[in-house]
Amino acid sequence: MEAEILKVTYPHMGYLNIPVLSMLNNLGVEVIEAPPISKKTLELGSLYSPEGVCLPYKMNMGNFIESIDQGADTLVSICGAGKCRMGFYNAVQKIHFKEKEQVQFYMLDTNHLFSDLYRFLRTMAPQASRLVVLKNIAMAIKLLKALDAMNEAKNFYGARTNSPEQIIKIYRGGSQELAKCIDFKKINSTRDTTINLIGALCNNNHRQPPKVVLIGEFYVLLEPYVNHSIEDLLIKQGIEVKKFVYTGNWVYSNTLLQGLGLYREEKAYLDKAKPYLNYHVGGDGLKSVGSALQCAREGYDGIIHIYPFGCMPEVVAQSALKNIASDYKLPLLTLSIDEHSSDVGIVTRIEAFADCIKRKYQR
Amino acid sequence: MINVHVHVGIPRAMLYHEFGSLWTNFFRNAGVPVSLSGETNKQILGRGTLLGVDESCLPLKVYLGHVDSLLSRCSHIFVPRICQYHRNFHFCAKFAGLPDVVRNTFRLSPEQIIVPNVEYNSPVNQLQSIYNTCQSIGLPAIPGYLAYRQALKSWKADVPGNSKPSNRKIAVIGHSYLLNDNFFCHDILKFLASRGVNVVTPNHVARKVLYDEAKIFEPDIYWQLSAKIAGAASFFSRQSDILGIIMISSFCCGPDSLVNEYLEHHVLKKSDKPYIIINIDEHMGNAGLITRVEAFWDLVEWRQKS
Repeated sequence: MEAEILKVTYPHMGYLNIPVLSMLNNLGVEVIEAPPISKKTLELGSLYSPEGVCLPYKMNMGNFIESIDQGADTLVSICGAGKCRMGFYNAVQKIHFKEKEQVQFYMLDTNHLFSDLYRFLRTMAPQASRLVVLKNIAMAIKLLKALDAMNEAKNFYGARTNSPEQIIKIYRGGSQELAKCIDFKKINSTRDTTINLIGALCNNNHRQPPKVVLIGEFYVLLEPYVNHSIEDLLIKQGIEVKKFVYTGNWVYSNTLLQGLGLYREEKAYLDKAKPYLNYHVGGDGLKSVGSALQCAREGYDGIIHIYPFGCMPEVVAQSALKNIASDYKLPLLTLSIDEHSSDVGIVTRIEAFADCIKRKYQR
Repeated sequence: MINVHVHVGIPRAMLYHEFGSLWTNFFRNAGVPVSLSGETNKQILGRGTLLGVDESCLPLKVYLGHVDSLLSRCSHIFVPRICQYHRNFHFCAKFAGLPDVVRNTFRLSPEQIIVPNVEYNSPVNQLQSIYNTCQSIGLPAIPGYLAYRQALKSWKADVPGNSKPSNRKIAVIGHSYLLNDNFFCHDILKFLASRGVNVVTPNHVARKVLYDEAKIFEPDIYWQLSAKIAGAASFFSRQSDILGIIMISSFCCGPDSLVNEYLEHHVLKKSDKPYIIINIDEHMGNAGLITRVEAFWDLVEWRQKS
């Protein structure tokens, strides 16, 4: 059985696939990556999922089905979210895939991500030494953080230029470039050149554009297919977007810092979210409210809350966000995404919201 | 001394249907005036739907309706936050956020709601939450603790009575806040009664039996209330005198959306008993409900004949 080479696949989530793919390739693991998310992914996913489940489940399902069609047999996924539904995903997904024999699941528990990831890589790449495995994990985190930094630069400078399209283009090129990097030095230099290029295009530096904070559920925030590239839409309207959810940061704090006991995300956001939310509510609920309140106090011009339809923690967060918006007199746009939401509906609402922000800002 | 004007209100919704007698007995033993909201009715549901976030689950909307009906006559509302009651299980996010949802929806000040925070199942946490409860109504801690001990004892001793022995039984499984709420299940239960069948629910079985039964699902199911449902489904599907199983869940219930699928595959399909899964929401006319239960009943009878 072991003689057979396992073909690994994983669900897409934003640019997470770039470092994961390069990490697995470096270690000599055979990867069959799911095709980029498309309408077909969504349709397949919804077809084989329970009706009432949230969108990330359906998307993951679609990714898995498409990659199994291409020959993958080892599905990697994460679990262990506590109060949220995500921890139960694999128990139900297994039911569907059991009928297709020959497929195995490999779960990474978010509560001890680092050790799980390490063990996974050791079993998948037995020929690689411990040091090489550790080096590759570190490099993947580095890559993710570089991507985050570039994304942040895009959001910052994109709102301060007359040619946001060009900045988005440079950013995309830079991301593709990063995928090819195989050492730390190259990652650093690619990141720096991309950010410098983006910065050089910034020709509207004298004024501060209106700022909105983008909060919500992890998956929807990070996957551009699902959120209809909301960040790009906003910067094209000349609005600066601030986001607090970044994969690199999250992985970094959940592997290294948490392992060393230096950082507890819950605690940090619990203080920020008071008095609107006083307890942890699972998922990203607390983080959404905490960062919205922080930005409201810092004088942002609007809040955009985006989450999958029926997401339990975000529904709890929404009751708090409504109050924050009315107390600080901030416009709040709530986008609840499911498999039926068409891009026209979303784009129109975002444009209308952008107009509202801009008019309020000019006064 | 207890403040003179204290009057505690307990909404008759959500976890009241699990822990209700414990809560009311605690306040009664301590000599604190306490009142319950009335049974769910159209008005309460209507208010709750209006107040709640559109896509929150039905029980949460009902809960808000109950709180609304209590506000005018009570000085304090009792909204416990229960995250973990059993070591291996959690409660869903709605229960963890319940006090915050109530506070934000009604703009209540922190003094107006009593929030014992049951974060972990540990003796220390238990003492803390009793202390906090006592603090917020000005009750001294020692009598408060004794009142709690007494209430807990009677709650634990309250073993559900067995349903009437009969060879025609239908199991109705679902969250206790749906099954025990007459407003939602009255029609189904009335219909089944009219056909001369006895209904058994998870409430007729001792809690311990259900949780022991649920142990086989343990690493998978981590929500306590879902584990109870899973235990009930697996328990009832083995009983030979049970003719069929009706599963009731509410629209937008996060855990149910996955657990139902899981149970259907692992328990119900294997059991060889007819089953139906009914989803209810606030827009439900009872005609649709009755038709489905009738069809299900036809199936049960047909199975009996063949």
